[in-house]
Amino acid sequence: MFNWIRNIALVMRREFRMVLSSVGTMIFFFGLPLAYPVVYSAIYNTEVTRDMPVAVVDRCRTAESREFVRHADATQAMKICGYASDMEEARRWWAEKKCFAVIEIPADYSEKVTRGEQGVIQFYSDASLLLRYRTFLESLTELQMATDADLRELAINTLGASAIASGTGSSVGTEAYFLGDTQQGFASFIIPGIVVFILQQSMLLGITFLGGGANERRRANGGIDPLAVPASPSATVIGKTLCYVILYLPLSIYILHYIPLWFHFPHQGTLVDYILFIFPMLLASAMLGQTLTCIASEKESAFVVVVFTTLAFLFLSGLTWPRYAMPVFWQWIGDIVPATWGVEGFIRINNNGATLAQQTTPYLWLWGLTAFYSITAWLIARLRSKTAGVKSVKA
Amino acid sequence: MLRQVIKREIRLLGSRPMWLVGMTLVPLVMAFFFLSILSGGLPKKVPAAIVDLDHSQMSRQITRSLNATELVDINMAAESFNEAMDAVQRGEVFGFFVIPADFERDAVGGRGPTLTFYSNLTYYVPGTMVFKGFKTLGVTTSGRVAQTNLVSMGAPQNMAEVLIQPMTIQTHPLRNPWLNYSYYLSTSFLPGILELMIFILTVWAIAHEIKTGTSREWLATARGDIWTAIIGKLAPQTVVFTVVGLGINALMYNYHHFPLNGPLWHMVLAMFLFVIACQGFATFICCVLPNLRLALSVCSLTGILAFSIAAFSFPVENMYGGVAIFSYLLPVRYYFEIYIGQALNGIPLYYSRYYYAALLVFPILAMLAAPLLRKAARRPVYVP
Repeated sequence: MFNWIRNIALVMRREFRMVLSSVGTMIFFFGLPLAYPVVYSAIYNTEVTRDMPVAVVDRCRTAESREFVRHADATQAMKICGYASDMEEARRWWAEKKCFAVIEIPADYSEKVTRGEQGVIQFYSDASLLLRYRTFLESLTELQMATDADLRELAINTLGASAIASGTGSSVGTEAYFLGDTQQGFASFIIPGIVVFILQQSMLLGITFLGGGANERRRANGGIDPLAVPASPSATVIGKTLCYVILYLPLSIYILHYIPLWFHFPHQGTLVDYILFIFPMLLASAMLGQTLTCIASEKESAFVVVVFTTLAFLFLSGLTWPRYAMPVFWQWIGDIVPATWGVEGFIRINNNGATLAQQTTPYLWLWGLTAFYSITAWLIARLRSKTAGVKSVKA
Repeated sequence: MLRQVIKREIRLLGSRPMWLVGMTLVPLVMAFFFLSILSGGLPKKVPAAIVDLDHSQMSRQITRSLNATELVDINMAAESFNEAMDAVQRGEVFGFFVIPADFERDAVGGRGPTLTFYSNLTYYVPGTMVFKGFKTLGVTTSGRVAQTNLVSMGAPQNMAEVLIQPMTIQTHPLRNPWLNYSYYLSTSFLPGILELMIFILTVWAIAHEIKTGTSREWLATARGDIWTAIIGKLAPQTVVFTVVGLGINALMYNYHHFPLNGPLWHMVLAMFLFVIACQGFATFICCVLPNLRLALSVCSLTGILAFSIAAFSFPVENMYGGVAIFSYLLPVRYYFEIYIGQALNGIPLYYSRYYYAALLVFPILAMLAAPLLRKAARRPVYVP
């Protein structure tokens, strides 16, 4: 037993040395987690899109229509870039990307609104990016409500129906609140999820890179890795895992605590809660990484094996596309990726201020995955020690 | 001698399963994956809760109407705000709608009660859907109550309608009235994945020769001409990747009926140019950094960052200037622009001319940098 613990410590010490002695692993274990969150934050940090150019085709040309255009220009989303003489010209502007939307005011607009009929204005929006359309839509709702209020006042005054005015004024009001991402910013939504991915993926890359190196040495030395500590498979797996997790705990605090703090992303929840929460994800990722080393035949295989999975995993997590809307099969595949649960639990704690107790489902899944991948990692290590002909040291 | 290099390369491609998997299986499986996940177009029927503190006929009517919309699925009736909030934090629902106590009485009595709703934007898409569903219902309820009140006060029916909404704005999202998400995500992410795989495998094909020291033999097969060596090496991959890319396009445009509002050959040409642009980018990196590990690092990292920085979802004109420049260093940005212009919006080819031309710049740059690679190929250095 004592021997076994000593072996764990030896494996861990050797693994620390392996990590710290190679530029490649240093990049994966430190460079990626330190730099990527900052890079992503820099990309998205403007959070919202505003003042998008909009063209106007005003067939009405009255005080009312100009008033409307002025109000449109004042909204957050829109910036009137000019009056087009007809729809043909506006379409040309759109193709040249001079504008992303066109407001078309019909000839009878002001006639209708002053006569007490409903005026209709058309809004054609480029739909190549949904974020733009969504922003337009929001400003349009406000614009319509404000214009309606103005016109209503006008109508009531001209109709002289003050009794009716009290009727419209007492209607039911609505109030909307946004949870989790109160500013409705893009970075605030995507970064807290992405940083959890960075933890998992950088760790997987680093571990498969190390494993690929070991496999290269094994091939060159008749099945024996001269740099490996001769220890039992279980001691090997545990020792290595300890090394990775110890390296990643400070990184987790940096990524999960300081990044949201520095860039003013939503940051609720308590440090204890999300570090306790992320701990089994680190364990599960370390075990998954050691399992994946079996398909990394050389160091550089890490890129081929791990890099493209980032996209698949990102999607499976439901961050961009909710999991309930996925076919069941893909939900199952997503279930076995540690980051799926890591993202879900972390953003609920970080953005919604949930407690660890409220994240029981993801938390239990993470521990379950830890157990599962421990077994697979141990099997891989055992297979290796058998093929190497090295007798496992009995505990 | 070009033929010899190609023959040698085809032999190499057959020697490792990695090539078949990386060039065909990964892009195709990912295509299948994205298209099947996003086949719904929009994640409708978002789980949501209702907090009905009124329990009146009107509040029950609101609940029923909410459930009848296609955006929201009321799967929970919470007794209090706290209970609904707890469900949000647990992730059971993505938002909730609060009907205050005495709502019906106040509404009919003209005391102007307020309907409140909460949408969880932690998940952007379902959060937005819930908001839209709630908002629509809030506004229509408000309108209905106002109209009833007006009519009961003696206003004529038609005047009441106009007074509630004197003007309205009709919005038309061009070319995608369904706001189908797959039209954006699949059409940008799949070329992104193709780009990533082309980057990685092109670097592997070139720099692995240097790592294992076979680059001399490779150069010798091309009789010392680096341009022949590169073209011969990459030509078989160009064919495979173009076929795979066109296969993915066929899957999108034919099988899933994605919008193709321009002529087909515009996108076929774009795919071919896109493939050689990606190969050019990776080759250029190999010329500057003729080391497998470093070139792979650079290409993987940029390939992954491309998904954010090529502005598929967050517009490039809103990024910081210094960051936005990087968007234009990546082939996939131009391919995406061509897709938006030619396939989605169907504008004349003229307006996309620069994007096609930009794709040609990448292979030209690679060919100009090729002499650097010749040096490295002659004296391969092995870095353990």
